[in-house]
Amino acid sequence: MPRETFQQELDGLTSDLLDLGREVEASLENMVRAMEGHDADVARQELGVDVRYKTTGMDIERECMILQARQAPVAGDLRLLYTVQSLTNHLVRSGTLTEHICHAIVDTEGCERDEDLETSLVEMARTARNVFNEGLDVFENRDIDRARDLQAKDDKVDLLYSEAMNLIANPSEGGGGAPEWRMRAALMVHYLERISDHGVDIGGSTVFLVTGERIEDAMRRYLDRNMDEE
Amino acid sequence: METQKTGRERKVSEVSREQRDVKQRGEGAPSGGDLTLGMKVEDLSAFYGSFKALTDVSIDVQANKVTALIGPSGCGKSTFIRCLNRMHEVIPGARAEGHVMLGQQDIYAKTADPVVIRRRVGMVFQKPNPFSKSIYENVAWGARINGYRGNMDELIERSLKHAALWDEVKDRLKESGHGLSGGQQQRLCIARTLAVEPEVILMDEPASALDPVSTQKIEDTMDQLKESYTVVIVTHNMQQAARISDYTGFFYIENMGDPGRLWEFDETEKMFSNPDRKETEDYVTGRFG
Repeated sequence: MPRETFQQELDGLTSDLLDLGREVEASLENMVRAMEGHDADVARQELGVDVRYKTTGMDIERECMILQARQAPVAGDLRLLYTVQSLTNHLVRSGTLTEHICHAIVDTEGCERDEDLETSLVEMARTARNVFNEGLDVFENRDIDRARDLQAKDDKVDLLYSEAMNLIANPSEGGGGAPEWRMRAALMVHYLERISDHGVDIGGSTVFLVTGERIEDAMRRYLDRNMDEE
Repeated sequence: METQKTGRERKVSEVSREQRDVKQRGEGAPSGGDLTLGMKVEDLSAFYGSFKALTDVSIDVQANKVTALIGPSGCGKSTFIRCLNRMHEVIPGARAEGHVMLGQQDIYAKTADPVVIRRRVGMVFQKPNPFSKSIYENVAWGARINGYRGNMDELIERSLKHAALWDEVKDRLKESGHGLSGGQQQRLCIARTLAVEPEVILMDEPASALDPVSTQKIEDTMDQLKESYTVVIVTHNMQQAARISDYTGFFYIENMGDPGRLWEFDETEKMFSNPDRKETEDYVTGRFG
């Protein structure tokens, strides 16, 4: 096949991106474990990963730019490079947010916590992790039909976000945990919501990669057709 | 909240596939909308003796736009473009069938005069071919034999300016056209074509023999030309098609020995970002063959 070298370079780039994604997945897994088990030592393992993710991300973006300059990609090749650049940003940002959360876990080790709020936080962390992992699976397998389901799962994260913020703003009498922990919990809630959004966007970018359409356009047309049929 | 799924619900990929199928049936092909039609080609086939080189090409060429034709060698691009001003039939044994409308006139109607058609639809060839005459006479020649009675000096200046050559040659109009560089010679040929005031300009790989700087000047010229003319260009340079054209047609031969066909035709932006057909994608991404 002509352009064999270029194809190998694209495959290598995709592989590097997936490797980065799996590393971030592993960090998210540790974050959830640390939250479930109040284990600051597990969280400590993730301190400093941000620098590594950013370096890898910059390497991938540089490779994208070189390939664009040297190979003048069009059509599917161009969409792949665009998607890889976009996904790199989502992965690095998710990794950074994961480290922020792990920092909060370490910094509030031993602080008094609110049981209800903690339950919401852990549930939110599990769901956000699942959305992120699934987004990466959608990209790896180009399984664009699952991309739509990600939005529904993200809605659950949004509900948990509202629930947690309500508990932070209105702590039960005599409860609420230490003020420092509650303040960090508010930030963690926000970070988890963002991680879930990155997962959804990874799925949406995959729809663009495969079909050339924004997921919003594909969904709008699908909804319009359903309304027409009704 | 979970999205409610119904029996009628279609997957995102299915909706996308349906849209692609509509495109392939031609319903989504560029119909012009508010645009003006430059030429309309219907069911055009071209022959060399008994060999059918091109079959059933239908295409709307929009006025004041650049339409690029791409495709592998031997797929009928040049044959097609030569059918647009009846140059194809100049080759012994060659003929064309179908309809090519230039405005309201079918250029293949029995009453159509090929000489008049070729004045209205000019052509620039792959290799610059100036006459052994002065720069001035090169441009004036076509206009003169067509009986131009206006101010010739003004026509020469206007044509050379449209071809983006005036500033480079205005002080040496009496010198031989052969003394110009390759890129300048090609722009001189464009000026010569413009001087007979055509409506459509056909260009068959006009920059393939030129260096990058000359190529860039020709491309810039085309961008200016489309303000006044309809341009159709055959090119093997994919990036050139992407840079300069508004619409792109991909010609393709499915099986060895078959005639060439117009395989896909759409806005250039679409053809180079998300073409509908796999063969087009393979060709523009360089994975053809």
